[in-house]
Amino acid sequence: MENLLKLLTEAFGPSGEESEVAALIEQKIRGAVDHLYTDKLGNLVAVRQGPSPRIVISAHMDEIGVIITHIDDQGFARLAPVGGVLPHQLVGQRVRLKQGRVGVVYHEKIKNLKELDWPRLYLDLGAEKQVEEIRIGDLAVLEQPFVNAGGRFLAKAMDNRAGCAVLIEALRRLPREIPQELCFVFSVQEEVGLRGARTAAYHLKPDFGLAVDVTRVGDTPKAPLMAVALGKGAAIKVKDSSVITHPIVRQLMIDTAEQHNIPYQLEILERGGTDAGVIHLSREGVPTGALSIPCRYVHTPSEMVDPADLKAAVELLKKLCTSNWPV
Amino acid sequence: MDKEQVKDMLEILTGAVGVSGDEREPAEITAGYLEPYVTRLHRDSFGNVIGFKEGTGGPGAPSLLVAAHIDEIGAMVSRLEKGFVRFSAVGGLDPRTLLGQAVEIHGRRRCRGVIGATPPHLLTEKERKKELRIEDLFIDLGMDPEGVEAQIRVGDYISLVRPLLTMAGGNIASGKALDNRAGVVAMIVCAAELVDIRHFCRIYFVGTAQEEVGVRGAIVASYGLSPDLAVAIDVTHGLSPGVAEEDGFGLGEGPVVGVGPNFHPRLVERVRTVAREYCLPYQVEPVPGPASTDSRAIQVSREGIPGILLSIPLRYMHSTVETLNLDDVLLTGRLLAGFARSIDTDLVEGLTCI
Repeated sequence: MENLLKLLTEAFGPSGEESEVAALIEQKIRGAVDHLYTDKLGNLVAVRQGPSPRIVISAHMDEIGVIITHIDDQGFARLAPVGGVLPHQLVGQRVRLKQGRVGVVYHEKIKNLKELDWPRLYLDLGAEKQVEEIRIGDLAVLEQPFVNAGGRFLAKAMDNRAGCAVLIEALRRLPREIPQELCFVFSVQEEVGLRGARTAAYHLKPDFGLAVDVTRVGDTPKAPLMAVALGKGAAIKVKDSSVITHPIVRQLMIDTAEQHNIPYQLEILERGGTDAGVIHLSREGVPTGALSIPCRYVHTPSEMVDPADLKAAVELLKKLCTSNWPV
Repeated sequence: MDKEQVKDMLEILTGAVGVSGDEREPAEITAGYLEPYVTRLHRDSFGNVIGFKEGTGGPGAPSLLVAAHIDEIGAMVSRLEKGFVRFSAVGGLDPRTLLGQAVEIHGRRRCRGVIGATPPHLLTEKERKKELRIEDLFIDLGMDPEGVEAQIRVGDYISLVRPLLTMAGGNIASGKALDNRAGVVAMIVCAAELVDIRHFCRIYFVGTAQEEVGVRGAIVASYGLSPDLAVAIDVTHGLSPGVAEEDGFGLGEGPVVGVGPNFHPRLVERVRTVAREYCLPYQVEPVPGPASTDSRAIQVSREGIPGILLSIPLRYMHSTVETLNLDDVLLTGRLLAGFARSIDTDLVEGLTCI
């Protein structure tokens, strides 16, 4: 799991350019599924055929990043966020373009930190003038290596490569016979508005949906009140800004976790959404739940997860894949 | 139907608990009220309750979707703290209205509780002026921590408690969840009126789920039913001190017809004509932005569904003393029935004529 997570989190995959991540995932799951394809928007869809019902299990593979909006004569680039990036997270932070070039983000002279905003930030890529290989519209991701910090994992893009890793691990451990059809969707553009999962769900017409994503925690000094903590198990989402988990799916998740002694916590996320938000509103409505991986420092260069939670999430997802979903 | 029946229905419907995401109680009651007037009734997987009535035009006739949301604002348990309960809002809960409020938590069993405030004696000047936030509030169930933990867990629904109060000789009703059980009753009034009125169009009466958290039930219901036309019924702001004249509408002065980009101008014109024809009073509300009602979801479903919005004026929205005039509920139902009666193939085909 650690190696897989290192590989996935260090890959380049900002919203809109997820193909590098998709290729890595494809390598890992080819052979474990009946069909594997990329749809028109770039979602990677892996199908394990089976009888009805059909369940869509979605984890987004894109990550937050920045986009170059302007380049001046000295070669300094100006930036806009792609997804929920806060400007102060970027000061002194290295970012990497798709072709590999790395630069550092800094700010113009400001009187106090309140003035720190996107127009005051620039990216220095070491160029002394405008150069051909750096262009307006280029996307960049945070440059931050994966680290095992005292047994817990720190990396950029843990949101949501952790979810991707959980899908991959569960998928590879599925038994030969499964009681339903499973469509694993590695979705694009979640961070900019749950876009990939929306069209994938429309196309796949599932009977049930499940999103796997990271969630925030309330276990750090003076954190906002939240009952989820790192290391206390997989989180079963009850509500966030995008979805209220369908009671049937929520109960199935709780029963499955309890039956197999898988540690779990119930999650209410005050602000934020997941692919479940669009899957459950697809067509005539799709009863949908979400399995979350507790994560500290979401949307920063160092997102932290606990391997015990990942293990619980894989276990719970695997059991859900072989449980009987009540039609 | 008369005012007394409207009051009785409101009393029962507002007594029901249906916080967004678990609308079983109001759905069941709504279905019971609709049953005598419709030919088919069902609940979809999302929780919408749907009653269908054929018109004189048969299966080929245009179809009308009537949407009134059955959910109400409330909260969910977010954390247990030494026997006290912290909570997360479901829908636009206003912390100012919650102090001193009785609640029910729907845990392993229903538990009554209160939201208390720190006694004024113990507050500093600064604390007294501080803005109240939901995260500062907590529920007291009067039980010890072990008792609370045995009954309550994260994610349990919390509903507000307030029996319906009638005032002014029975003309005015005040209580919780009148947003939008009043709209639901107007829909039932319409269904009842249509027993004696011949109507050409086919009608879906839909009690929509999860409106308060983002018009979600209407998104899936309008896709699933794919009607030709739609009417959403909801509440709008009533006039009271502190509400600007242009933002509020008089209680007892009739239903409010929405005008703006979410509503089809020809259908708006039609409902105004119907009101004049039947001598029913009505008011007009400009809604320039996206309407905060089911209308905005239904309009852009599939290839587009033209529609209108009828609102009932209501004071103190999203509090437990939402206040309205029963006549407005009755009149809204009657106007809606008149509008439904007026729908024919020409009206629908006329919408797409160049």
